[in-house]
Amino acid sequence: MVSDVPVTQVVAPADMDELAAALKAATPQTRLLAGGTDLMRAVRRPGSEPDVIIDLTGLGGLSYVRLDGDTLRVGATTTFTELQSDPLVHEHALCLGLAAAQVGSVQIRNVGTIGGNIANASPCADSATALTALGAGVTTLDGAGTIRTRPLGEVLLGPSETSLAHDEAITEFSFPALGAEHRSAFAKIGSRTAVSVARLSAALVVRFDAAAGSLTDVCVALGAVGGTAFRATRLEQQLQARPADEDTARLFAEGCVAAVQDSIPGRYSLPYKRHAAIGLAYDAWNMLALGAPCEPPWF
Amino acid sequence: MQLLLTVNGLSHEVEVRPTARLLDVLRDQLGLTGTKEGCAEGECGACTVLVDGKAVNSCVMLAVQARGKEILTVEGLAEHGDLDLLQQKFVEYGAVQCGYCTPGMLMSAKALLMANPVPSEQDIRIALAGNLCRCTGYAAIVAAVKAASGHDATPAMVLPGEADELAVEVATDPATLAIVDEVVEAAVAELTEGTAPAPEAFPSLDAPAGPPGAPAAPPPEPPESAGDAEDGE
Repeated sequence: MVSDVPVTQVVAPADMDELAAALKAATPQTRLLAGGTDLMRAVRRPGSEPDVIIDLTGLGGLSYVRLDGDTLRVGATTTFTELQSDPLVHEHALCLGLAAAQVGSVQIRNVGTIGGNIANASPCADSATALTALGAGVTTLDGAGTIRTRPLGEVLLGPSETSLAHDEAITEFSFPALGAEHRSAFAKIGSRTAVSVARLSAALVVRFDAAAGSLTDVCVALGAVGGTAFRATRLEQQLQARPADEDTARLFAEGCVAAVQDSIPGRYSLPYKRHAAIGLAYDAWNMLALGAPCEPPWF
Repeated sequence: MQLLLTVNGLSHEVEVRPTARLLDVLRDQLGLTGTKEGCAEGECGACTVLVDGKAVNSCVMLAVQARGKEILTVEGLAEHGDLDLLQQKFVEYGAVQCGYCTPGMLMSAKALLMANPVPSEQDIRIALAGNLCRCTGYAAIVAAVKAASGHDATPAMVLPGEADELAVEVATDPATLAIVDEVVEAAVAELTEGTAPAPEAFPSLDAPAGPPGAPAAPPPEPPESAGDAEDGE
């Protein structure tokens, strides 16, 4: 049977103490399994057999969404299906819910987890774009029992590359909960709607001063257009204090195109992505529902 | 490693290799070959089964991940060989060509209907987005699922929890007990009247032993067919 790798052992910690013990025994060949949708493919490649798979599926304590004061906390093994229908996510992190709803297929979302999506460090990871726009921190537990939190940008280093140690597991994501004055959106483009990696994704979080009709605190994150998701900081500054109108929508789209161009200069996909970024930017903008939908003036 | 899996209402204790996929255990160890392997990387959905009512790709799931959970495969849809309404509609609408994707399509649709008995067409399309069909197209499949909607989609089979309850009900029901008594009495009467011989393996100590080498009593003639024999031979 080609699928079996007899040397690999599977341990299934039932609680955090058992997880810490399993991490303590971990080697660089040990892999963590949160949902398995990425890992199962990776470990079946000859030569990539792990010595131990630590199965987090039965670790009930890491699947939650909690509002803790002004902070939203999301457990690492929360599935995309759970995220997309969670009322707290809808209220305080809509862009993350929208991203979760567009991951893979129903089958993938039912088992795929947010922690696995980040630890796998695909440049196309939908949740990475949303979490970047939300300014998320990543909390981890290691084999020595140390719990620490660092910004997502310090965890994601490049394609399939993270700063996570081999004995370190993501336990939680936390970020400021969006309030009633905030709006957020997520949009992505792939070769088709489902079960297709994003060619380009964008998440947008703004504070909207409805009385003045203007934007403050703008966060723009782009994904699948470089090694990791990143914040388009120059564009964010350009959008600060701008009125939420058609001109700003256009400025936003142009800024997204510029950010794409800066991120992947000379890449074969650049001509396509430059163009795709325009439509994607307008999709995300209109999702904010700041006023009447805007149309790209180019078409 | 030893694993307890509940598949289509039946508990199985299986010895699995730690890295065996759920798909491998279902097909190779439990003989449930209705679940198909397509892409083997979670894209095509041919291997879709339900775990605790949720559609999953069994090709990218370790069997260990399903420990202690309720698994429903396409074999669990047809109770005693009678097609589930969803299956009937697939037949009726011709939502099948080569059929390889069909078990996965059925299971994704089943999960949808169990959670949402009256889905919109958009709901159906989203539910089936993880199931690829390369020959018949999707229109007939969506139409078949639509036609099967609006009904309680709970699988007809008796789940283990219900089976236990049913057993308790039967064991304590006076009417049932009376029937059991009757049957036992009739069986005892039949034995004592000599219409059926005592089993040879357990000769009665009271009965006089025949001479060694005496021919054994001829086997009883099979009873006249009651006409409603289930095996239909």
